[in-house]
Amino acid sequence: MTDLRIGVDVGGTFTDFVLYDPAPDGAFRTLKVLSTPADPSEGVREGLDRADAGSPSEVVHGSTVATNAVLERKGAKTALVTTDGFEDVLTIARQNRSDLYDLSAGRPEPLVPPERCFGVSERVDEKGRVLGDLDGDELDPLVEALEAAGVESVAVSLLFSFLHPDHEERIAERLRREGFAVSRSSDVLPEFREYERASTTAVNAYVGPILDRYLERLGRRLADSRFRIMQSNGGSVGTEEARRHGVRSILSGPAGGAVGALRVARGVEREDVISFDMGGTSTDVSLMRGDVEVTSEASVGGLPVRVPVIDIHTVGAGGGSVGRVDAGGALRVGPESAGADPGPACYGRGGERATVTDAHVVLGRLPPEAFLGGRMSLEPDRARTALDAVGREAGLGDGGELDRAERAALGVVRVANAHMERALRVISVERGHEPEDFAMVSYGGAGGLHAAELARRLGIGEVIVPPAASVLSAFGMLSADVVKDYVQTVMLPGDTPFDDLRRRMRPLAERGRDEVEAEGVPPERIHLEPAMDMRYEGQSYELEVPLGEDFVDRFHREHRRTYGHAEQGAPVEIVNLRLRAVGEVDPPVLPDREPGPPDPAEARRSSRPVIVAGPAGPERRRVPVFDGEALRPGHEVPGPAVIAESDTTVLVGPPDRARVDRRRNLRLEIRGEGA
Amino acid sequence: MSGDARRPSDGGAPELDPVRLEVFRQLFSSAAEEMGGVLQRTSHSPNIKERRDFSCALFDPTGRMVAQAAHIPVHLGAMPLSVRSCLEHLELGEGDVAVLNDPFRGGTHLPDVTMVTPVHVDGELVGFAASRAHHADVGGMTPGSMPLSRELFQEGLVVPPVKLVEAGERNEAVWEMILANVRTPEERAGDLRAQVAANERGGKRLRALCRRHGPDRVGRFMEGLQEYAARVTRDLISGLPDGSYRFDDRLDDDGVGDEPVEIRVEISIEGDRASVDFSGSADQRPGGVNAVYAITLSATYYAFRALIDEDVPSNSGGLDPVEIVAPEGSVVNARRPAAVAGGNVETSQRITDVLLGALAEACPDRVPAASQGTMNNLTVGGTDPERGRPYAYYETIAGGMGAGPWGDGPSAVHSHMTNTLNTPVEALEFAYPLRVRRCEVRRGSGGKGARRGGDGVRRDLELLAPARVTLLTERRRYPPYGLEGGEPGEPGRNLRRPAPGAEWEELPGKCSLEMGAGEVLRIETPGGGGHGEPDAG
Repeated sequence: MTDLRIGVDVGGTFTDFVLYDPAPDGAFRTLKVLSTPADPSEGVREGLDRADAGSPSEVVHGSTVATNAVLERKGAKTALVTTDGFEDVLTIARQNRSDLYDLSAGRPEPLVPPERCFGVSERVDEKGRVLGDLDGDELDPLVEALEAAGVESVAVSLLFSFLHPDHEERIAERLRREGFAVSRSSDVLPEFREYERASTTAVNAYVGPILDRYLERLGRRLADSRFRIMQSNGGSVGTEEARRHGVRSILSGPAGGAVGALRVARGVEREDVISFDMGGTSTDVSLMRGDVEVTSEASVGGLPVRVPVIDIHTVGAGGGSVGRVDAGGALRVGPESAGADPGPACYGRGGERATVTDAHVVLGRLPPEAFLGGRMSLEPDRARTALDAVGREAGLGDGGELDRAERAALGVVRVANAHMERALRVISVERGHEPEDFAMVSYGGAGGLHAAELARRLGIGEVIVPPAASVLSAFGMLSADVVKDYVQTVMLPGDTPFDDLRRRMRPLAERGRDEVEAEGVPPERIHLEPAMDMRYEGQSYELEVPLGEDFVDRFHREHRRTYGHAEQGAPVEIVNLRLRAVGEVDPPVLPDREPGPPDPAEARRSSRPVIVAGPAGPERRRVPVFDGEALRPGHEVPGPAVIAESDTTVLVGPPDRARVDRRRNLRLEIRGEGA
Repeated sequence: MSGDARRPSDGGAPELDPVRLEVFRQLFSSAAEEMGGVLQRTSHSPNIKERRDFSCALFDPTGRMVAQAAHIPVHLGAMPLSVRSCLEHLELGEGDVAVLNDPFRGGTHLPDVTMVTPVHVDGELVGFAASRAHHADVGGMTPGSMPLSRELFQEGLVVPPVKLVEAGERNEAVWEMILANVRTPEERAGDLRAQVAANERGGKRLRALCRRHGPDRVGRFMEGLQEYAARVTRDLISGLPDGSYRFDDRLDDDGVGDEPVEIRVEISIEGDRASVDFSGSADQRPGGVNAVYAITLSATYYAFRALIDEDVPSNSGGLDPVEIVAPEGSVVNARRPAAVAGGNVETSQRITDVLLGALAEACPDRVPAASQGTMNNLTVGGTDPERGRPYAYYETIAGGMGAGPWGDGPSAVHSHMTNTLNTPVEALEFAYPLRVRRCEVRRGSGGKGARRGGDGVRRDLELLAPARVTLLTERRRYPPYGLEGGEPGEPGRNLRRPAPGAEWEELPGKCSLEMGAGEVLRIETPGGGGHGEPDAG
């Protein structure tokens, strides 16, 4: 047994490892192995073996097992038990369609087909009073029907069960006795709005057995280690809790990235950051002010999951996004993606359509021989042919010193930037934040070529590219605290005495403290964050306000801050009690090196013609190429320059300057205004 | 794709090149979406916040729409008419905000209140920001302002285009006049403020665009994007075979008389142009099913837009290649002071049905059978005995969608001109003296066919205290049509059960009645039409 701690993030293509051993020198190692989609635990085991990890003291793991089970509809055979008369809650949903103008769009297929949705006669009202009792005898035919249908897992979600969980508990107990896996809504999400609660509970039931088997397999390999699972709220929990609430690990990969970005920013004393993760098919952005921001409005595959999820905004533009000209003559990029296979034209694997990556190759920004640290070489001619075809379709000609393919490439990059700029604006400007107050942390393979230009357009002054940017998610998992969230709908008037609220909060607080302590966190490192969802009577959206004696005033203030006005004196309602229990984990201490002299000559490898922004438009310039691994703390690289890392490439714009800080982050100082 | 003027052959950087076109498309639509975000977050009524019954858009200085955020289709063609009406009736200057809901001067039905804000840069008009939201109550004879009316004046307060804000100062006379005429003035005030704020945001974005790119270039791209949308529509029309395609269908009745209300259309395709002629449709009716021209325009826009695969901007250019003939004084182009409450929500659906029915002849592979063709409007109003104050609950209920050549129609979903959400049962029971006894898919109500129509919904609502119930529903008599041999969907039904154990009594499609505590209202919504001959046996 060593002090070795490992973060493992299973992605679609690669499984990433970050290994941290505080003992000798606090060094990090990173490792990537190919993912094994059929059984992702194989890739994890292979990586652990290759890393010669032995028995690490701790492994924090984020996996896409739960998410993929939902997206590919490959979860457990699940049934729903609900109040008689409401068996179709999952089909009816919120009765809207996802695309206004697509007559053939259909709706997301529910995880539980109608023939496996069962009603039981019982009814509870909005005050928690029993209008119709649950008849225990009715459960016999239910068990028979479930067995006949070959069901493995059951979601139980009755109306108003969050006020009176007894009926759900009785059903769950009986079904567990009969050998079914059971998720009950009063445990998974004791919150009002029956469709969202049933959907969340159904997802939990659907992924539970899959996650269970997966963690079972991995747990055997890690029997001697502390094994924690990344959650979508940015925290991590032990396997027992992870298995019980599988829905909470949905979307945990991007959450790891956001936590990692936050840790990187804190390491350089920047608290307010925008994370920018540009991958092959999409780009994730998130805004954080000192801490991650959490939302409960997430969905997966079109199905709502109302558990706390780091607030991440995604757009369908990435390195593999395809450029084309549409029927009206506009150049479009994405959401269609060439994916990893066949991939961009320049991969030479049969892809012929022009992607964003191809555009960078044509513009000289992606040195073909240095791609992925030389593990893969690119074919620039194929990229050029693909972009030339787009240029022809767009009616472009040669212009000035640039040819048609190059002009098309500039266009593809520009349109991709427009998509990403829009996403960045959604999370910042549209929510009342000034981007200039934030630093951007760029990670993900494709981000380094876009980050500086996007920052310039938004007025962001600094871009931080952490070392090993492509495994930041695994790093974030390693540094994630133990975090557990609890909610309980109460629907109380705003004049409820504070003491009464405290009394109602107590069971949540006790449960939170106990459960985090059970994860092995010492009591002095646990803190609780009690809060309430409040609204004006008659509103349908709630605002979260910390629990305190002045909660009504705080609600008015929060309403004014968020929406620009408040109605002092208008009646308010307390909709939900919320509790976040945090058990602090020692984050890895990033190595800190004394900066050396600024001249980066030792890391300079070559120079090449690159098309960059000039004073009078795009121009071809000879630009130095640096080996990112060879850059040392203190080195300064004036733009324009290309910095090739083993898994990402960074373009330093002509007016910008890059500096390597004490922690080996690339710090880009962004100058000038965006065009 | 046809070659045309957008293709510069020279090597210079063309002004309206395909790249900038796309960049500006994104800029304008994100500004419109941002307006929607502000409106949704700051408004007060559940109708806007929870059901999302609103739209936001940007306009060029001549009042043509440049980009509308994808919210509610029935607002599509109607918003530009609001801006035009403001231009006709008012001298709008910097710092002004106009408000209107008059269906005969730029509105559609009274609950839809539109605000128009001119946007200036250095004293020059560069465009308009406008928002439209369905307000939960604007006065009139019943709570919710969706009554069974015989003339406009019964439906609520009529606001012609007037300045709500003048040179930055709120016009208190107008403000007070509006609030004095509605049942829930505080909620209205909050919603009106939210619309002003949304427009402000749109104006701010438009001014920022002008500063960054110069007003001239912004103006050229406003035009360029409309030409772009027009090209996409022309591209669609050129792909349809030349010819004339006719279709007719009917509303059950107008809520006053018993006769069906005919709606007819003839769509003529010639090259890359289309004409849509509603001649032969019924004259306007005494009951409130009359549609103003704006609604007919919206439905026409929607029908063509739905056949386009691209995610094109929704703007005025999209309908340039389409000519519309809608006889004045008919049910598709009503004259003042016709009652119009249901035109927006019900007749709009039937107009869409006849348009798609005609287009199905031109391109059978792209058009589904009729969807439920109604929004099943339900309003319940009374006094909450526990809280001792009045309430008004408004809901629309989903139904079946028509099957298409591609497969079965989805069940229990809103179709065509609306896409509002339902109120969760638990939210409803927390808020009102009502109890939902049942909410389920109405199995077997979709039309049979090689591909089945989607099923409707059955919803039982028990009143816990006496209340006035108003139903404005359609397709209770004439079912949603099938196509290519598919059978029609099951018509909807409205029923009441006066006491537990008593027989269900059938109610008319459009009615307003007092119901007592313990009575149950059952609404069964129509199924969608089937597509293709059903299998034998």
